[in-house]
Formats: sequence, structure tokens, C-alpha cells
Amino acid sequence: MAVTQLTQAITMRGADLLVSYLKKEGVDTVFGYPGGAIMPVYDALYDAGLKHVLCRHEQGAAFSAVGYARASGKVGVCIATSGPGATNLITGLADAYMDSVPIVAITGQVPSAVIGTDAFQEIDVLGLSLACTKHSFMVTDKDDLANVLKQAFTIAKSGRPGPVLVDIPKDIQLAEVEAMIEISTIDKIEAAPLADLKAATELLLQAKQPILYVGGGVGMAKAVGELQKFIEVTGIPSVTTLKGIGAVPTTSPYALGMLGMHGNRAANLSVHDCDLLVVVGARFDDRVTGHLETFAQKAKVLHLDIDPAEISKLRQSDISICADLIKVLPKLSIQLDIKEWQRQCWDLKQEFGTSYNAPFTTIYAPQLLRQLSDKLPNNAVVTCDVGQHQMWVAQHMRFTRPENHLSSSGLGTMGFGLPAAIGARHARPNDPVVVVSGDGSFMMNVQELGTIKREQLNVKIVLIDNQRLGMVRQWQQLFFEERYSETILTDNPDFVMLAKAFDIEARTITQQSEVLGALDEMLHSDGAYLLHVRINEADNVWPLVPPGASNADMMESV
Amino acid sequence: MKTVSMPLQTNTLKLTLNSSPEVLERVLRVARHRGFKVELMSWHSEQSTLEITVSSERNIRLLSKQLEKLIDVTQVIDLTEVNQEKRA
Ligand SMILES: Cc1ncc(C[n+]2csc(CCOP(=O)(O)OP(=O)(O)O)c2C)c(N)n1
Repeated sequence: MAVTQLTQAITMRGADLLVSYLKKEGVDTVFGYPGGAIMPVYDALYDAGLKHVLCRHEQGAAFSAVGYARASGKVGVCIATSGPGATNLITGLADAYMDSVPIVAITGQVPSAVIGTDAFQEIDVLGLSLACTKHSFMVTDKDDLANVLKQAFTIAKSGRPGPVLVDIPKDIQLAEVEAMIEISTIDKIEAAPLADLKAATELLLQAKQPILYVGGGVGMAKAVGELQKFIEVTGIPSVTTLKGIGAVPTTSPYALGMLGMHGNRAANLSVHDCDLLVVVGARFDDRVTGHLETFAQKAKVLHLDIDPAEISKLRQSDISICADLIKVLPKLSIQLDIKEWQRQCWDLKQEFGTSYNAPFTTIYAPQLLRQLSDKLPNNAVVTCDVGQHQMWVAQHMRFTRPENHLSSSGLGTMGFGLPAAIGARHARPNDPVVVVSGDGSFMMNVQELGTIKREQLNVKIVLIDNQRLGMVRQWQQLFFEERYSETILTDNPDFVMLAKAFDIEARTITQQSEVLGALDEMLHSDGAYLLHVRINEADNVWPLVPPGASNADMMESV
Repeated sequence: MKTVSMPLQTNTLKLTLNSSPEVLERVLRVARHRGFKVELMSWHSEQSTLEITVSSERNIRLLSKQLEKLIDVTQVIDLTEVNQEKRA
């Protein structure tokens, strides 16, 4: 148990203690929205020298905190009032929970004396938080505030990271608290002994056809360098999940790309054929495995993850090591004799490479995204929403770090892209930030254009408009007899006019011939820019593993 | 290959908990959500220990590992396992 000192002599309001604690934690920006039960905190923020970004909906604030955390590797912070403010945060917390993102949410609560009386804007936020946070607190003792805050940050970033909520009744925000408090930290996750290293090494050496299955855990563990070294030394062919994108250099000869429902055929087939699956920071999500019983059926499993609960959760592992990937991967970086298998994977990769032949004049989104990717520097951050465009980003854009590809993966939350970009922009003010959104998703947090205007943020928005809830439409076409129930959005607003209402430059394009010029115009514009891209509603995401099918049985077209 | 499905089994876990007011909710929520039916439980608030008997077609390890992850759970002992070892 580590003990640290927070040294401050005088007493101060709980709210001031909160703000000064945030600064001590190294937080430079917080995202939030004020209201009655959080007013003391906003009063403390007024002249505290801590940047507060006023989002236009608490969901926007939560996603901005997620974007900030994912783009920077630091803890994101969002703030909301009691009742509706707190309930509006929930989707963002759930998103952070599913994608293991370290954020701390601060919510105001009605005064202690009236908790449990159905007071105005009272809701049991602690109760609401149980299913969507890694941990949560309601502060009941003013002298406990500093300790709780310290624990909140420690829990959010330790082990498998995740969201932590701290609910603070208004009277505690106002109470005079002794600021010099000894803080004890808990550290539940202890580094496991690397006892199974020898067995793991043997498994690796025995394998003739090993595949590395890379998940989001690599980025969260900040072990991208160690992973790349591991790949270099072992020469092991790799596949990545949606969250794993960026962890493996696409230039690596045996990088087979994303696996799963909309994965690369080469990735899925090589996993199907492998005799050893080396799982690193991944969790056998159903969008990854397809029919679980046929997933890597012939393979033994070596699972490396910080979270013991992920080991043998869905797939029995033969050897597992629960420890920090930074420590484990170098110990397993050994030379393997797998020339024949490498060649086989290479051949598959060549056979199923992407072609951007679009024999029509209208815009082909995969090609546009590839062209955009080619124009962006390596330090650019791309956020996206959820649907077909999200899969096209994953399939056709190139990333050199997981922190550069922010995609709501586990929860698949529409409305993520725009606020996540706002968070990313604050985390990395010198790096270009681009949102790729769909006409459905964009409307889910469209109010955040107000935040872009207020903060004068240089965020580029590529709005892929098929006048449909495209991904749902695709499933209706394929699996529901073309009964297009409530997925037709021909009544969308005029997006260019909408952007201009927020002083954001905008333009519509409809033809392939306009794409390169328009991308340049957007990227070279001074501030925020919305590029409205009309595409054909019939364009689908391929390939696709139908629900319940084996990953080896991918559909290539209708 | 499947690790989750087995014939219905009953297991008893003994948990040591931090005494936060919501700790029982946390434990019960995880049990329900992960597919375990609570058959019997006994809570000793003074020692902060909970003995809980659950049934499920899922492997009890799936539950105990999820419970161990809860910050307010300090120890999980599978009494069924302990008793079996004693009998053996
Ligand atoms: C908050 C939320 N509601 C509903 C869904 C279900 N859903 C998944 S994709 C999708 C359609 C998205 O449409 P759009 O943003 O236009 O993207 P496209 O698929 O057309 O590229 C819907 C409704 C979701 N993922 N998130």
C-alpha cells in the first residue's frame, strides 16, 4: 500500500479542493456542463486556471473526455450536474467501460440531507453507475473527498483502465475541508509472476502456423513498441481487432489487417488455418470471432492480458499470462522457424488485397477514405462514428498508432465521432484532427458544432451521406428481405447550411472527379470545415461474415 | 472448445468485502448479469463477509473472476472447491 502526501495548509471548500486536486493530477482540460447541484464546482472553476470546455450536451462532454483520453493516453475528465446531467453522461461512461478508457466523471448530487427524498433533480447516480463504470463513489464524508479523488484516478488508469464516477453532494462541495490529508492508494492489480513464460516459449517454438491476434489492450498498455519488436523478432503474421488498428505497422510484411465480421479475407482465413493463436490484449468479441466454435478451431491459444477475467472467458486458453504487456512481450520475443507459413500468409495477403476500381462517376467512399489517408500526415487523429463509414475507415485508412484511430468499438455508439474529435483536439492541439461521420450518426451529437464554434477548433469533418442508416439498411437488404423499415433519411437537413449556421466552412461533393480537390481544400482551410460527401445508398461494406457463420465463410457481394 | 456451457451446477462462494453501502448491489448485479441465479446467501455486516450459493450452467470461475475484479471485493473463496478438496 503506497502512501502519498497532499500538502496544503489551509482549509478550502470541497469544490476548490476538487479543482486543485485535478490540477495536481496533471489534468489540463475538463469537459462539462453546469447545473444546480454542481454550481460550487463551477464557481471554483471560474478563476482556477483550469481549462473547462463547455460542451452542448453532457453526452458530448463524456465522449470528449473519452476522445481526450484515447488520443493522449491520459485520464479524461467530465463534469455534470445531478439528475439529467448525470443520466446524460451514462452512454459515454458505458462507451468508456466497453473500450477500457480511463475517464473520471464528476457529478453533483443533491445535498446529503435530502438524498432519498426524491428531491428536485435527484436520481440515484451511484446505482446507475454500477453497470457502466469500473468503479464509482458517492462521497458521504467531506474529509474523505481528497482520498476518493485520488482513488478514482488510480483506479481509472491502473490494470485494465476504465471509467470511474465520483458523485459529490452539494453540501460537500460547499463544506470547508482540511486540505492536508494523507492519502492512501489501493493497488488491487498486482503484477502476476511470469511463471508461465517457459511454457509460453515452448508453445511458440512448437507452432508451425502461429498467428498474432492483436487487440486494444496493446495500446492501452502503451506496449506498441514492445509489440512491434515482438513482431520483428518472431516474424509472426498478425491480425488486429478494430481497437488494435494502429498497433501493427501496416508496412509490416505479414500484417494481414483487421479480422472479424468486416475483416480482411486474408486475416480471417489465416486465423482459420493457424495452429497457435497468440492473443494479445484482446477478448474474443463476437464481432471478431463469428461462430465461436469454428474460430481458429485447430489452434492452441496463448493468451496475454492484464485482466484475469478475460482468460478462458469465451475460449479456453492453453497457456495464459496475466501481466503488463510491456514486461511480457520482450520475454517472448524469440526467433521462430515459420518461413513456409509466412509465405502462405503473404500469398493470402496478395490474393485478397483491396482494389479501388469504381466503374462509376459518383463517389466511392472506400476510395475517398484511402485518398484522404494518403494525404494525412502520420500524426493525424481520425475519429469516426458507427456504421458503414466506420468499417470503411477501419478497412481503408492507414494508422501508425492506436491513439490515432478513435472508433467506438465495444459499444458501437453513434454520436461518438464529433465530440471525440473535440476531446482529441484538446489533447493534441498540434495534430490534425478529422472526423469521419455518417448522416445518421452526425445528427446524434450535432449540437457539438456549437462547441467547435465556441472554442474555434480546427476540426475537419467528412460527412459520408448515403441518406440512409446505412449499416442497418445493409442488414435489411441482406437478412430482412429488403424491408427498409425506418432507415431512409431522404429528409436530412441541408448539412452545408447547418455547418454555416455555426460559422463552419462547408461544401458538398457528388462526383469522383471532385474528390482530390475537395480534400485539399478541406485540409488546407484555416479552421473547422465540413465536407459533405454524397454517395450511393446501395454501396455496402464488403466482405461480411453473416451473423452466426464461420469467419471462413465471408460474403463478397449480394 | 466452449468454456461457458455445462450442466447446471451449484457453488458456494465466500466473499470478503469492503463495507461500502452499495457493495451487496455490486455483487448481486454481477452475479445476475453474468448468468448466475442466487439460491441462498448470508451476509455478516460486522465481518463484511458474504456467503453466496449460486447456480448456473456457466463455469463458476467466470463469476469468481468477475467478482475479484470489483474494487470492493477483497477476497473470493470457492467453498465448494475447498470442500471437495477436503473430501478427496
Ligand atoms: C446510439 C446508437 N443507436 C443505434 C445504433 C444502431 N446502428 C448501428 S449503425 C446504424 C446506422 C448508422 O448510420 P450512419 O451514421 O448514417 O452511417 P452509415 O452506416 O450510413 O455509414 C445504426 C442505427 C447504434 N450503433 N448506436
